[in-house]
Amino acid sequence: MDKFIIVFFVFSCISLSAQDKIHQTFKDTRVINSHSIETLKKGILDFRIAHRFGDFAGDAGGWPTFYGLESASDVMIGFEYGISDNLMVGLSRTKGAGPLKQNINSFLKYRIMRQDDGGGKNPFSVAIVGLGSYSTMQQCSTPGLLCFFEKSPHRFSYNLQAIIASKINHRIAVQAILGWTYRNNVEFNDQNDLPSAGVVFKYQFSKVFGLIVDATFSFSDFRKNELGPDGTQRFHNPLGIGFEWETGGGHVFQINLTNSSGLIETDYIPYTSSSWGDGEYRLGFTISRQFKL
Amino acid sequence: MIAFVQKYLVIILAFTFVICASLMIPERVIPDEESVITEDNRVFKILAALGADGTDHFPDTKLFGVSAKRGRTLVEEGFSTKPGGGTTKKQSKHFVCTSCHNMEKEDPDLRFSDPQARLEYTNEKGLPFLQGTTLYGAVNREEFYNDDYYKKYGDLVIPARNDIREAIQLCAVECAQGRKLKDWEVESILAYLWTIDLKISDLNMSPEELTFVENALANNTQQDSAAALIKSRYLKGSPAHFVTAQQSREAAVAAKGNTDNGKLIYENSCLHCHENQRYSYFNLDDCDMSFKFLKKKEDTYGDHSVYQVTRFGIKSVSGRRSYMPQYPIEKMSDQQLQDLRAYIDMRAD
Repeated sequence: MDKFIIVFFVFSCISLSAQDKIHQTFKDTRVINSHSIETLKKGILDFRIAHRFGDFAGDAGGWPTFYGLESASDVMIGFEYGISDNLMVGLSRTKGAGPLKQNINSFLKYRIMRQDDGGGKNPFSVAIVGLGSYSTMQQCSTPGLLCFFEKSPHRFSYNLQAIIASKINHRIAVQAILGWTYRNNVEFNDQNDLPSAGVVFKYQFSKVFGLIVDATFSFSDFRKNELGPDGTQRFHNPLGIGFEWETGGGHVFQINLTNSSGLIETDYIPYTSSSWGDGEYRLGFTISRQFKL
Repeated sequence: MIAFVQKYLVIILAFTFVICASLMIPERVIPDEESVITEDNRVFKILAALGADGTDHFPDTKLFGVSAKRGRTLVEEGFSTKPGGGTTKKQSKHFVCTSCHNMEKEDPDLRFSDPQARLEYTNEKGLPFLQGTTLYGAVNREEFYNDDYYKKYGDLVIPARNDIREAIQLCAVECAQGRKLKDWEVESILAYLWTIDLKISDLNMSPEELTFVENALANNTQQDSAAALIKSRYLKGSPAHFVTAQQSREAAVAAKGNTDNGKLIYENSCLHCHENQRYSYFNLDDCDMSFKFLKKKEDTYGDHSVYQVTRFGIKSVSGRRSYMPQYPIEKMSDQQLQDLRAYIDMRAD
């Protein structure tokens, strides 16, 4: 604990240094699914709506569902707020795409270090995110299912991330994420702890239009070896590719294709079971509207 | 009797001296500091000593909580400590006074409102080049929200035109899109503004002119002329005329842009608000993508065209009250706008 406090203090001091800092490594606080290094400015309220449609192709997609547009695998509605320029909090509700539905999610993100502008000493920005999710779905009657909720704490899941990012130039930004997800209740042969790593890439075509890519890899033997009912691999790593528009006046619009059906880390990291190879990718979008409070 | 005189001689002499001395005092005392003018002399004091009518908007310092220090914090940060303890609510979510106004002298010659002279002067002094008039010397002015500001704010400008308190409130509520200031806040801002009033050195008077004023003070002669001379050295209000984007576009057709000048405008004006989204959601920087974007939008009729946004600004609307105020022609000339375009084009290419 003492070491943590010392590290926190050192990083805080670094972040307070007077050197010019990089602005907008990413345009938004999210890159498809993952948190980006960005935090909201102090006093900014961000209203967000994110949507993931159904499978574009595959067994559940195609014409019958109008390529997934007639179904919604997950929906998020939330508010986020900048307490300071480097600290933000968020509260949202998600439909839930995994076994845990009707989730209330909250998170706290703190940017502890910002990249120096103009080739300064520090080429990276660093942030940490802590997220908690609580499923409010009705208890199911089958013991052994995750939704049985033998105890109330079984409804909780957590995710902790360390994010390191660098804006290489005005067009290119990269980011790496080390994550740890903990679920209070898991399937009998799964483990509560789930470490993961993520990579994010952005290429800015113009001032307002950019390409974004987001991939997360979980490290779990269960996920690697577990087979689904059809005998194929049950879990897949989420991978998304999308475009981002800054429409001015505090609006950012993202449209993407991803195989993850969930929107929150405690959902899409442990429970992504759709495969790009089987056409189980979907269209998604995020609308963000910021207000000054 | 003699004994009485001897007994009280000292007192009688002292009394006599006081009476004689009082008879020798001239009708009007001119303190030494005002009969010899120094650069630091405040213009309003010299005018008062000359018996001229000056501005009379002095702060009401008897009001509880009034302080120039609080006024300065309100102007620069938008909030202050409350007289009874604690901190005030931020005056505006969107702007502070220094978003649009400098606090230092920004014109080399206060007799004229010349945007090119101002651009060069502010650049030399490391100041931004802004839409609003500097608050330095605001208390020496007699008129506010002049000329075409009526077109923008309508009848709201009428009470503000000759009343600095009303002008401050109009600026707080309409320009800054914030809350109305409390009385002690207005008086505190006034108290602060009186710390940045005009000094004799700001008027660029010649040695002969200074001697003329000094003689007027010392000899009580030609005081009206001396006061008129001083008043002729600065504007009593800041002229403001709006032109349309179309007029500026047409003027630009014949003009050749100066990219060096355009660079100064981009850096000292555009980036003042847009760099790192300081006062705006729209970010601008020194990167080629920003210039390409601005070039692409130049000849459009939307908010991202430099002609449109400079001449019309951006409206404040419900849900997005933060806006961009336009530049009157006295704050950015058509030539300067063309210089800005030339710089944008050069950087985009």
